[in-house]
Amino acid sequence: MAGPDTSPYWNPKTETLPREQLAALQTEKLRRLVQRAWNESPFHRRLYERARVTPDRIKTLDDIRRLPFMTREDWMACQAEKPLFGDLVTRPRADAIRYHLTSGTSGRQPLRVLDSRKDWAWIGEMWCYGFWAFGIRPRDTVFFAFSYGSFIGFWGAHYCCEKIGCLVLPSGNLTTEARVKQLVEMEATVVCATPTYALRMAQCAQQMGIDLRRDGKVERVIVSGEPAGSIPATKRLIEEMWGAKCGDTAGMTEIGTIMIFECDRQPGGTHIIEDHFIEEVLDPTSGEPAGYGERGERVVTSFGRGFIPLIRYRTKDLVEKVPHSDCSCGRTGDLYRGGILGRVDDMKLIRGTNVYPRAVEAIVREYPEVEEFQIVITREDDIRDEITVQCELAPDKRPLWDALAPRIGKDLADVHEGLRFNVALADPGSLPRFELKAKRLQDLRPKG
Amino acid sequence: MTPPRQVDDLLGRELSADERELLGLYERLRALASRSDLAPCVTANVKQALVMIWNACNDLALIAEEPRVD
Repeated sequence: MAGPDTSPYWNPKTETLPREQLAALQTEKLRRLVQRAWNESPFHRRLYERARVTPDRIKTLDDIRRLPFMTREDWMACQAEKPLFGDLVTRPRADAIRYHLTSGTSGRQPLRVLDSRKDWAWIGEMWCYGFWAFGIRPRDTVFFAFSYGSFIGFWGAHYCCEKIGCLVLPSGNLTTEARVKQLVEMEATVVCATPTYALRMAQCAQQMGIDLRRDGKVERVIVSGEPAGSIPATKRLIEEMWGAKCGDTAGMTEIGTIMIFECDRQPGGTHIIEDHFIEEVLDPTSGEPAGYGERGERVVTSFGRGFIPLIRYRTKDLVEKVPHSDCSCGRTGDLYRGGILGRVDDMKLIRGTNVYPRAVEAIVREYPEVEEFQIVITREDDIRDEITVQCELAPDKRPLWDALAPRIGKDLADVHEGLRFNVALADPGSLPRFELKAKRLQDLRPKG
Repeated sequence: MTPPRQVDDLLGRELSADERELLGLYERLRALASRSDLAPCVTANVKQALVMIWNACNDLALIAEEPRVD
């Protein structure tokens, strides 16, 4: 008998809407969202008054271009002016049930986000679109290789799997070896991790004498947090080591959840959840729309997070949109070919964590013993990204290095969601000095 | 059960019988969640149910407004 488990779509009604109806739905939601932001968020009211636009000007989807962009810098400034959450939020803190934050950017100030009970349920709901599309069903046992901290990461995916009815295995603070043992013992059929960590677990299993393809029951590996999830060579390696299909998803703390996912047809791109988001792709310089097949910056409008209206938010993610017809699954949401391709600015993504040179500098400069420094990013074994901060000390301070290095490393990790930094002592006079604009970052990873 | 006042979805389509039932359920939960005279165990669980039903209604393009009483 046909039942909900046999539907290929989480939401057949809107995932297969003809494009013109999808646009009509987006327009209606946009109109209401802008009105709500105007009424309830002083941040947005100020932004729109400055741009001389009022909610009644939003009548068609194209009218979105009348609205000003929202940037991370705006958001940070508003939080700094009115700590802790700024006047972007639409409700009092007492109405929230969740708090998460991003890594620091300039200085040590992260973006802080709050979610209501409804927002949190919606965050899980968006993951359901993706997990269902990749074939996750109530019969599955899902293992989360995730530390469950203040970084939002797979939190929403955990709740999504509970909602679907899966057996959920949260691995929290387990070591890699313990994780491998548990997922084999519990016959997990799905594993969620960053691409890097999925490979690390597989390598660890090999060292333990466990052949995941033979000894495990994993059928699907769902990855998130790094562009590598859509790099074919990486995906192939994960699939070979796990003997399972590997599917990519991508999201961001600013929206709290994912906005794109790979369906089980895997057409080389990720579907956009267009009944819940408007994803514009713009030339990062001119701000003009990029056409299908042209690379540009993602600009997102989210309909779901009530606490924090996100309208025309410039993500600085580099993407290339292609029509939904490139996939045969029947969804009418367009695709990003190759997922998230990278960044349009200098932010670096290291093992799923955003690293900004200015944030690193803000830490290093707290140690006056450090005279000069360089950030060096490399890719080891063609897959694992490493970041090293080379520090040059004044000659008389060099004996202090053994005590300083772990402190610097810890401070860097603390403002980067626990990311491990290598900290190395450079020879006296070996690092470049600058008179004007300093260049203290070398990204030695392969391009493209 | 009082039928919902709304007759169309956000696309202007007439609500199906299932959609009317779902929306009616949402409105009833919302009314319960708005009350301040219920036991904590009732209020908290009604609010949890409310936000789950909100998602079903929102996915189906029946509502876009915030529940506000969550």
